[in-house]
Amino acid sequence: MLGLIIVNVLVFAGIGGLLALLLVLADFFLANYGDCLIEINNKKKLTVKGGNSLLNSLSENDIFIPSACGGRGTCGLCKLQVSEGGGPLLPTEKPYLTAEEISQNYRLSCQVKVKTDISISIPEELFSIRKFKGVMEKMIDYTYDTKGVIIKLIEPKSIDFKAGQYIQLQSKKYPKAKQVVSRAYSMANSPENNDHVELIIRRVPEGIMTTFIHDYCRKDDQLTLTGPYGDFYIRDSDADMIFVAGGSGMAPFKGIMEELCRKECQRHILFFFGARTTKDLFLTAEMKEYEKKMAAFSYHPVISQPEASPDWKGLTGYIPPLLEKYVRDPAKTEGYLCGSPALLAATEKKMREIGIDKIFYDSFG
Amino acid sequence: MKQTPEEVLIQERLKPGAVTLDGFLGNDNRHYHDIIAEDLDKIKELGITKEEIANRLDYFTDKALMNYDEEATIDGKYRVRYQTERGKLISPFKDKGLIPKGVITLLNTENSQQICWTPLNISMIRNHGFFEGKGAKHRLEPEMLFKALFE
Repeated sequence: MLGLIIVNVLVFAGIGGLLALLLVLADFFLANYGDCLIEINNKKKLTVKGGNSLLNSLSENDIFIPSACGGRGTCGLCKLQVSEGGGPLLPTEKPYLTAEEISQNYRLSCQVKVKTDISISIPEELFSIRKFKGVMEKMIDYTYDTKGVIIKLIEPKSIDFKAGQYIQLQSKKYPKAKQVVSRAYSMANSPENNDHVELIIRRVPEGIMTTFIHDYCRKDDQLTLTGPYGDFYIRDSDADMIFVAGGSGMAPFKGIMEELCRKECQRHILFFFGARTTKDLFLTAEMKEYEKKMAAFSYHPVISQPEASPDWKGLTGYIPPLLEKYVRDPAKTEGYLCGSPALLAATEKKMREIGIDKIFYDSFG
Repeated sequence: MKQTPEEVLIQERLKPGAVTLDGFLGNDNRHYHDIIAEDLDKIKELGITKEEIANRLDYFTDKALMNYDEEATIDGKYRVRYQTERGKLISPFKDKGLIPKGVITLLNTENSQQICWTPLNISMIRNHGFFEGKGAKHRLEPEMLFKALFE
């Protein structure tokens, strides 16, 4: 009796396995979708080999949709509108889409397979995102845990961007890290110096990328990055500007200040940089130079732990409570913020209380 | 134990060097299913749910966030500090969206119980009942959580 049961189980398992194998073979040999057409924004047309994900099909044609998870369907960043084709909405996409987005045919491009012709809409600025190969040219120790990183671009040799935008840098495998990861970093150079990308990278405990940069990456190492991304850049107006940054949040403002100085910007600018102690301050001399060159610019480093820096003569405490007395006309002031989530949250709250409602920052997705 | 390809992938992502350098399993050689099962039994014995724990951790995280990376006293007896970091992570469980980086420490001054967690801890507890493996850097022992958050 037991023997009969075992034989039956084996027979059924065998049949199941055979069917699964047949399905895999059928998909491999028969599911040839041929060439498919991707129409973008009703104007650009790409011919791609069918069967691949929409995200990959686009990136193979140098159109890079922002994605933080590498197409694994976990970040929800690669949304775009699919007006025709693409098949039914998948259960793996639904958690990432609002009811409104679903009604407007938004999809996760990493989950949509290109099996037929397909029409999509994407923001025009995504066409300017490129994949770059570069080499580590120089690393500068700004503080005990923060490095300036300069990556010379090799292919393509230059990047077009607005001061303040960010790139996604790809790590490499190293003894402690089995996987390659991509992380977002604001560019610290100005668009005029576009043959390289400059970043400011602070070591994050357990961070795969920051450990790679701080401990494993060496001069002349080859690196891959994509960009530019983001809408953190200076708006064209005559409003006063308040910059608030902390730590590596200095990066976009370094590039922005280079650009504003070159353009001889006359707008009233206050730059508050928060640090725990004087050991966490960097680029202070550079910012003080801008004060000499730009009459309407002033730089205000603020130390939150003055007891650890007894010689400090500047501002102390936290930035948000200081803002009110410096703002001239809240209705004619723009706030630009970059730093830790706590700094962003507290500063945005305070700015809104004061009456500043034009506040810009990049949350990197 | 038979596993789906997705479960195999999750087990791999929980190991060091995949999502974070140290990973989430510590020196615990058990499958994540077994870790979850044992911890869920423990919290049941303690009379709480994973959702209640996650809600409590969320409560302190949100309150501490507005305190600019410095220590705050919340509800009179909890000293909480949220050290935030720029950037976001994906969950090893493939949960929705990106999760902020950072570490929150809480001291219950009445019983001196201290705990430390990350926003990713909250997501993994709420969605999966995963408190991390024994010896993992951010392992949260249910008994310690109970003592710190509910006593």
